[in-house]
Formats: sequence, structure tokens, C-alpha cells
Amino acid sequence: MERLFCDPRRCVGCRACEIACAVEHTPSKDLFVSVLNRELGPPRRRVQTVGAQPYRVAIGGVVLSLGCHHCDPAPCVDACITGAMHKEDGQTVCDTDKCVGCWMCVMRCPYGAITPKVKAIKCDLCPDRREKVGRSRYACVEACPTEALFAGTFEEFQRVLAEPVTAVWEGRQ
Amino acid sequence: MKKTQRFVIIGASAAGSSAAETLRRYDPTAQITVVSDEKITYSKPLLSYYLAGKLGEEQLFFRAPDFYERLGIERIHARAVGLLPEKSTVELSDGQKLKYDKLLLATGAAPRFPKVEGIHRDGVFGLRKLEDAQGILTRLPKTKRAVVLGGGLVGLKAAEALKERGVDVTVLIDSPHALSQMLDESSARIFERIFEQNGVTIRTKAKPVAVLGTKEKIEGVQIASGEVFPCDLVVVGKGVDPSLELLEGTQIRKDYGVCVDDYLRTSVENIYAAGDVAQARDVLRGEPWINALWPCAVEQGRVAALNMLNKETIYRGSMRMNSVQFFGVPVISAGLAVLTPGPLGGHPGEHDETLEAQPVPGIYRKIFLKDETIVGFVLVGDVEAAGVLRILMERRVTIAPVKDELLELGPDLGRVLPLIIENKERFVEREFQELVHTVGV
Ligand SMILES: Cc1cc2nc3c(=O)[nH]c(=O)nc-3n(C[C@H](O)[C@H](O)[C@H](O)COP(=O)(O)OP(=O)(O)OC[C@H]3O[C@@H](n4cnc5c(N)ncnc54)[C@H](O)[C@@H]3O)c2cc1C
Ligand code: SF4
Ligand code: SF4
Repeated sequence: MERLFCDPRRCVGCRACEIACAVEHTPSKDLFVSVLNRELGPPRRRVQTVGAQPYRVAIGGVVLSLGCHHCDPAPCVDACITGAMHKEDGQTVCDTDKCVGCWMCVMRCPYGAITPKVKAIKCDLCPDRREKVGRSRYACVEACPTEALFAGTFEEFQRVLAEPVTAVWEGRQ
Repeated sequence: MKKTQRFVIIGASAAGSSAAETLRRYDPTAQITVVSDEKITYSKPLLSYYLAGKLGEEQLFFRAPDFYERLGIERIHARAVGLLPEKSTVELSDGQKLKYDKLLLATGAAPRFPKVEGIHRDGVFGLRKLEDAQGILTRLPKTKRAVVLGGGLVGLKAAEALKERGVDVTVLIDSPHALSQMLDESSARIFERIFEQNGVTIRTKAKPVAVLGTKEKIEGVQIASGEVFPCDLVVVGKGVDPSLELLEGTQIRKDYGVCVDDYLRTSVENIYAAGDVAQARDVLRGEPWINALWPCAVEQGRVAALNMLNKETIYRGSMRMNSVQFFGVPVISAGLAVLTPGPLGGHPGEHDETLEAQPVPGIYRKIFLKDETIVGFVLVGDVEAAGVLRILMERRVTIAPVKDELLELGPDLGRVLPLIIENKERFVEREFQELVHTVGV
């Protein structure tokens, strides 16, 4: 199954993915409209600094953008008392209509990938972009200016990690 | 050709459903039969939401109502009344006899009623089954005042629900403080106050001795001091005991619950147990225990099913944890150190350092440490970091390098990733391994 991965060599911690994610999950899907109308919710990915608190970015530290890993088996799905959190074609999806906000899933997710905000908010792999292909299939991947975010299987991502970074930069010039 | 396997599961709740689902996922042709004495499969933790009127009956399903049918699993509405392991047979209340190749006991637990006078009067309810909640709701129009016996999670959720229905509620608690199986005293006091502010009376160190009344009508509850709390309804929330009736006359080993090994096998061949009935490995106590929790029941159901399919899978073990909200205030607590030392066995209370913070009113965090590892925590008001703290505790990671920041730890994993990389052999899950590999390059 296709999942999202972040190449820490390319990630510069600009948090474009966070904004893109938050905007994607608004009714307007427009940055300015969603700010004006106070539609923005929490991002479902977070830029993190390895070994440091976020937003206290150590210059030169390793940063990367992390979200839900769509685990199998998924601890959050085991925990869910309503069946809202469930697996669907390999993805871990929260049916927010069913969610009662009990935060059992928050207690169980070892990656801190669920935001408790009335409902359990997490990466849903951009269902409104299902028709799109390439980098625009996912809002965060599309927004990433350094192409650090990658959609594919882990095996495919491993091949990316095996390549030197410079090759990608050169490829873009 | 491979012989069709016959799997029988007794109990169709969290553990039973999860096992059935797993059996079907890996064996499309097996004959799977689930037996339950309850007509429908619903989520028990949602009963308090139902009681409060927040969810309707049709919203209690945690799987589609036709879940079993869709998976080609037979669901029989009957009670299993006899088990004959030497004949690989289960006898049902409707006279049927079911043959099995592999059997799963997922019979769960039933409320524990204190042995006091009048406890079996009409109008005294447990809160474990849909019919309990329905029984309470039927009486509601005639109920002005209710007494809840027990200040645990179920008792307090029932109290909250009844209050939201406009009933005057008093909670009588034996222990010195509420939620003694979940919170330390100072954290528990926060919630006692929240209940009081919402108009629920909490009485600690109040041991009930009798439910007073006539045959048709409850009049009150008397406690050891002689004081009487008048009421029209009593709800008992004093914990549960595993349902072990089926073990009678068999060689299946039991202690408090059904004893199972790390593959969730009982002591008798081809019989497995999972969920609230099974006494399985506990990662924190170092001795088998029942953590009667929804997530544990689901995980055990899956692991038992994998082993029933001969896909050898070790059960990692459960631990004490819970997440709940009272009057809108969330709390997540985990670990043993949180508990006041008491008759529970294991090592409640054991810790050598406590970190505590109240960064803003309404948010309270407390972390218990022993030898620089997390042995318990309580998060009130803001619970976002719970999963990350929990996994550090479960995998017994030394947190010394981040100790000063532990109380500020958000949900972000980044801060503690170096600790995980250092102990990567304890983080065997594929997703952790991928992450370690990714950061390692
Ligand atoms: C009000 C309430 C709130 C709760 N809140 C939480 C919470 O917030 N978090 C949490 O983790 N847990 C919570 N729990 C606990 C959780 O519901 C249980 O841990 C979970 O249901 C255990 O699942 P199980 O499948 O092992 O057993 P059960 O859910 O007890 O199911 C066992 C089933 O087997 C049936 N059965 C038993 N014997 C037989 C027989 N001989 N023949 C046929 N059928 C039989 C029973 O009728 C029952 O349907 C709560 C429970 C209640 C009641
Ligand atoms: S929310 Fe957490 S536990 Fe659930 S699939 Fe995503 S990463 Fe895994
Ligand atoms: S918060 Fe919602 S998704 Fe999470 S466990 Fe509770 S009901 Fe399920």
C-alpha cells in the first residue's frame, strides 16, 4: 500500500506540509479564505526535530515531517470503542461521524499521530484528491518545496534513500 | 485437500469479534461459529453514552450490524452451558452440541455485586449489558434520586449519565478517594471536585451495608455508620469478575481468570482464551493479570486467533491504562505507580521520583519514575502526549536525557527518537523499524 515518507536529508523544516495539510482539510481548501473564516484545524503531519523539542529547531539538526504510519495491525484501531477508527484498503481511517472523542486511540498511538480535538483528527490520505495523480495526489507532498515527502511503498522509499541527494537537486535544475 | 477447520468462539463482544474477524481474514473457508447469549454485538464502553442519551441504540455498534453475516460467520444466540474438552464439544442452552477443532473462550466478565442485604431487590442494576442500561432507562421516569455504589470508571460514568438525565446522584465509595484503580489521590481529587461542581455528591470511606426498601420499591442505601441515603434506584459499579462458569468440570487451569500462556492457550489442548476472562501476561507487573480493557480484549482476540490458525504469535502483554472523560474533562492514566498501594498485588505505588506540573489552570500532568524509567503517568485536560509516554513506559526506555522536558513533551516523537533508536531492538514493529532506518541514513 502507498504511504507517505519523509527524507530527512531533504527536509528543511519549513512546515509547508503542515499548512498544506491544514488547508486541504477545510471546506474552502484555500489558505486565505480558510484563515479569514477561521476554518483551519490542526495539521495532520508535524515537522519534528530529532532529539529536540519542535519549534526550538536546533540549526543543523535532523528535521523531518511525520504523520500517521497507517500501521498494520494498528494500535489505534484496536483501541477504538466505537469502530470509528478502522482499516480500509490498508489505510487507517477515522469515521468522524462515529467518533465520540474518548481518546482511547490517542492513548494507544505510539507516534502521537492523532490530535484530540472534539474528534480524533489524523492523516486521512487526502480523500478529496483521489482523482489526482503524481505529486499532487497528496496536499503535503505537493507542497513540499524540496521533495522530501514521498508517496509509495517503503521498499520504493528505501531506493530513494539509497540515492545521493544531489542527484535529485540536479534533476530539478 | 486441506480439511475445513471448525472454530467455535464463546462470546461475541470485543475479544470474540476481533478473533472472528482475524480467523476469517486468514482462513476464507473455515467454518466459524460465534455463540453469544446477547442478541446483538455492541460496544460496552458506549453504554454510559447511551444511558446519558448521547447515543441511540443504533449507534452502539462498533462493527456493522451484519458484520458476522457478511464475513460468512454463523452467530448463534444462545448460552454455552457445557464444555466437554475430551469430546471437543460445547453444549448450548438450546440443546445444540457444537463440535470444534479450536475453541476460544471470550466470555468476558460480569459485574461484582457487594454482598449486602437487599442487593438483589428490583431497582438495583449493574451496568455491563445493554439490558442493564435499558432497565435503568425504563425506571428513569420514576427516579428522582439515585445512589451509585463504587467510584470506579463505570460507577462514575453511570453517575455522570444519570446526572445529565436530571437525576440527583450520590456516589458511595469504600476507598479513601474516587477512581482508586486509575488515579493517585491528588489527581482523583480534581475529579471529585468536578463531580461536586456538577451537582453530584461524592462520599468516600462510605461502606454500604444494606439496600433498604420493599419488594417493589427501593427506599435507600444504608452505610456502615448507620447513615441512610434515600433513593429510588441503585447502580452498582464495583468492578467485574471473569465469567468462568464454562470451566466447571474441566481441567482448564484457572486462577482469578482463565490462565493462558504467551500464545493465549489455556492448559487444555485446542482451547484458547482472550479478553476480560483471560489472565495473561502483564508487561508491568511481571505476573499474569487481567487488565479488563477494551483494547486488550481486541488485541488478545486477534493474537489468540492467529495462534488458533497455527500462525505462532506471541502476546506482548497488557498493562494498566485508561482514557476517560468526566463532564468534558479528559484524563489518561497508565502504569502502576499511579495507584495507591493496596491489596491489588503487583507493585502499585512503587516509584522514586515524581514530576508534576500545572502549566495552566485545567491542565495537570504527573509522571512517576523509577530508576529513570516511566512507571506511571496521569494527564488531565490535555492528553495529546499520552501515546508517546505510554510507549516509552511500555518498552522501559531510560528517559534520563529528556527528563527535564518530559512534562512539556507534546505529541511529537522527534524529541525522543534518539532514545528509540538507541533501544531499537525493543521497537520491533515494522513502522518503528522503518522510522529508525529513515533517520539512520
Ligand atoms: C459501562 C462500561 C464502560 C467501559 N469503559 C471502558 C473504557 O473506557 N475503556 C476500556 O478500555 N474499557 C472499558 N470498559 C471495559 C470493556 O468494555 C471490556 O474490557 C470489554 O468489553 C471486554 O471484552 P470481552 O470481549 O473480553 O468481554 P465482554 O465484553 O464482557 O463480552 C463477553 C460476552 O460473552 C457473553 N457470554 C458470557 N458467557 C457466555 C456463555 N456461557 N455463553 C454465551 N455467551 C456468553 C456475554 O454475555 C458477553 O456478551 C467498559 C465497560 C463498561 C461496562
Ligand atoms: S494513528 Fe498512530 S497507531 Fe494509528 S495507524 Fe496511524 S500511526 Fe499507527
Ligand atoms: S477518540 Fe474517536 S476514533 Fe479515537 S478511540 Fe475514541 S471513538 Fe475511536
